[in-house]
Amino acid sequence: MTGVGRALLRLLAVQGTWNYERMQGVGIGYAAEPLLEDLKAADPQRHSEAVVRSVEFFNSNPNLAGLALGATVRAEYDAVPGGQVARLRTALCSPLGALGDQLFWAGLLPALVGAALVAVTLGAGWWAIAGFLVGYNAIRGWTAVWALRTGLAAGMKVGAAISRSWIPRAAARVGPVAGFAVGLALPLVAAWYLRPFGAASRLGVVILAVLGVLAGRFWAPRLTAVRFALGVVALALLLRVAMR
Amino acid sequence: MPAPTLLGLLVWGTLVGLDLVSVAQSMIARPFVAGFVAGALLGDPAAGLRIGVLLELFALDVLPAGAARYPDYGPATVAAAVIVADAPWELSLGLGATVALLLAVLGGWSLQWLRRANARAIQRHAAALAAGESGTIRRLQYGGVARDALRSALLTAVGLAAAVGARSLALDRRTAVALTLVVLGAGLAAALGGALRRAGTGARLRWLAAGLALGALGAAVL
Repeated sequence: MTGVGRALLRLLAVQGTWNYERMQGVGIGYAAEPLLEDLKAADPQRHSEAVVRSVEFFNSNPNLAGLALGATVRAEYDAVPGGQVARLRTALCSPLGALGDQLFWAGLLPALVGAALVAVTLGAGWWAIAGFLVGYNAIRGWTAVWALRTGLAAGMKVGAAISRSWIPRAAARVGPVAGFAVGLALPLVAAWYLRPFGAASRLGVVILAVLGVLAGRFWAPRLTAVRFALGVVALALLLRVAMR
Repeated sequence: MPAPTLLGLLVWGTLVGLDLVSVAQSMIARPFVAGFVAGALLGDPAAGLRIGVLLELFALDVLPAGAARYPDYGPATVAAAVIVADAPWELSLGLGATVALLLAVLGGWSLQWLRRANARAIQRHAAALAAGESGTIRRLQYGGVARDALRSALLTAVGLAAAVGARSLALDRRTAVALTLVVLGAGLAAALGGALRRAGTGARLRWLAAGLALGALGAAVL
């Protein structure tokens, strides 16, 4: 099958047309186009139907979307009935979303951000940023290649391939690492900022942080972090005006 | 501000806006990355890093899963770097972060507009999609990316204008310091609140507590 490289590049923009109706559907269709080219010559009717199916509703974590793309394209080449291909695509949304969000958004990303923030506070400067970008993109790039190849190899059996793979184990293990890294970073970041200030100011910041956490727990989801921040900024400005 | 610097910031803000969702997601949109590069463009990378790390605390609260709505911190951080660059950070960080938070909220709304605009474009071409026209898929995709580039450029432009205006505000020293401390406290609350929410009650919570303890020890020693 040709077009794997182009499909990988196009997967970088899988959310380019993200919307509330088809979500990543058109993005997946765009990435599927080079993979389906060989089918056009072999079976034009099937190719046309496959293109229509490729842009229908789809949503998952973008870093694992290649698994669904590869599996559905392989199923199209294997002449699996269209209804089954559509059901496979729909069935993959939730697990790929949940696994990918757990692995990347709630795991790898906060873990690497936490590590980078620690490095910044220790004076690493731009090395911390370069390390973060290289580390994250190396892992997600490798994952994207693995996901597309695994999907293309497994076809309709992609569910079993995912459950046998490293993804579920990594998703479970990276969470504690992320927790540790963010936990380690927060006091160091606080100290990095508060060093020039006196004890009263430091205590005030800590009290405000604790109040913010408690307020967020009691009044979530209405009281977001940004609303809390803008609220206390407004209060601080009002107090300053009143004290003049 | 010299025109080449302004243009550089506009281009950088557009790139980080695109990176958030539409293209690449290479994480240049993370505030500490966006801020550092914006600071470097302004000749003060350390100031960019200061504002970037502070806004990163807020960004750590966000889980960009599925159809979640979230602020767009990238272009906001680029604009905030203008306020903080070449100024004492103890006095400028609060104002910079406040402007950035407002811009980030505006950026979040602009993402909703973008998603609805993408949906409308797809509805207009529903017949062509149903016919399996590959050219239409490509045009829709390029259109979506172009809309996001426009959104990001406009957001950055508004942010830069707001930042230039905010720089001329004459806050007294006590108010400026108070703002910095308040925003720092709120940022720490955001990051810790997000970490606790994600930690639940299992092993992750224990590792978070261990990290906090070790971090506190390190902060006391360093």
